[in-house]
Amino acid sequence: MLKKIYTAFTSLNLGLWLLTGVMLALAAGSFSSGASESSGLNDFPLFYWLQNAPLSFSWWLWICLALIAILCLNALFCSIEALRTKGRSIAPHLMHLGFLLIVLAHLFSAYGGFKQQLQLPEGGSIGFPDGERVRVESITTEAGPMGMMSGYRAELRLESGGLSGIEPNSPMFHKGYGIYLKHVALTPAPLAILEIHKEPGALPALLGALIFTVGNLMLLAKRRGR
Amino acid sequence: MKWLLVGSAALYLGSFRRPLFIAALALELFYLAMRGVGLGRLPLIGPQDTLAFFSCSIGLMALPFIYSRELSGRNDFLWSCGGLAALFAFVALPFPTLNMPLPPILDTYWFELHVALAFFAYALFGVAALLGGAFLFQGGRGLLDLQYRAALVGYSFFSLSMVSGGIWGYYAWGTYWLWTPKELWTSILWLFYSLYLHLRVKGPAWDKAFAWLGIVGFFVTLFTYLGVSILMKSSHSF
Repeated sequence: MLKKIYTAFTSLNLGLWLLTGVMLALAAGSFSSGASESSGLNDFPLFYWLQNAPLSFSWWLWICLALIAILCLNALFCSIEALRTKGRSIAPHLMHLGFLLIVLAHLFSAYGGFKQQLQLPEGGSIGFPDGERVRVESITTEAGPMGMMSGYRAELRLESGGLSGIEPNSPMFHKGYGIYLKHVALTPAPLAILEIHKEPGALPALLGALIFTVGNLMLLAKRRGR
Repeated sequence: MKWLLVGSAALYLGSFRRPLFIAALALELFYLAMRGVGLGRLPLIGPQDTLAFFSCSIGLMALPFIYSRELSGRNDFLWSCGGLAALFAFVALPFPTLNMPLPPILDTYWFELHVALAFFAYALFGVAALLGGAFLFQGGRGLLDLQYRAALVGYSFFSLSMVSGGIWGYYAWGTYWLWTPKELWTSILWLFYSLYLHLRVKGPAWDKAFAWLGIVGFFVTLFTYLGVSILMKSSHSF
């Protein structure tokens, strides 16, 4: 019985059908209202959204998650089987490992992610769970040649006295949270629109991407001239 | 300056010989370089610039293939590549150029790397589709091997584009992943070529299916690039 299950999970055909299934579920989802940006899917951690969204919104994602779960087992068993019996190049297996780590990273973020938007004037502060407060010291903007706002920046003061600047593409990371400057308004008084993010999957995702890339480069080198 | 792009497209259309193809590519590279110098950045914003960049990427990525031993003297393949590059150069022409500075959120090398790598990948998927078509018309396993190589390198560029996009997204928005139609179709495209590359393991009995998948993949590519922007509401489009 166990051997039968193991053989089924090492099947290439199973992998091909699962890939097709995931693609079809994602394609159907992309046309559904559940994937539209007004569905709130990007505003909450994935598992929280899945628990609270009506099934008419989330059905495609449930199908997708179920198929990806089996696909992960399929990739894992295929790699184990290939390494056990053939012992050939490890490149495809590194790519599998990278893929599995990226899926795991998504699970971390789907469970423990956090996002909150705040609007703070100069002097306003952000409270952290341990009671520390980070204060918005100043908000500045730059104007481009045509007078339009071409850049903006906020200085944040930590309780330790340290000063740190944030601007687009340059957030501040503090105690596991990222503080992002999304926009600023200058009238009637300077106001920083900030987002606080916690993305526990970021590091495993990067690690997965690096392992995948190494495997990919090894595969390219192996296939060169063939 | 648009006459450079018109000239390039016309040369691509007449590229029955390699020097004409090279001249078309050189003219298009010159056009993009002039745009880049004028803007102070890579021209990667808006339909006009991205279509011209895509067309140029096709010319650039086709180069190793038109000089490969297997395709030496195959002017039909050369012209197909030229025709594909010309098509997107012509489609770019009616759109206005966007001459504004980059919005602050896009003003990072991660964005430029992400987009440029995606277009190199799209271009290679286009070349792979042409090779698949050539195989179906004329046969010859060498063509299928070249198709596999084009798709594999394209897949590698595309994977790197997704990684650089994830890094950019993390620094720009606080997350390496957003659920938008563009990202869903990006995943579909990546999964599609994952399936394509795995199918190779099934051996020669699947050669025709393999060639067809290489062709279908380019339509998925076009939908990911153009279809999502035209048909779906997504903040993540040109």
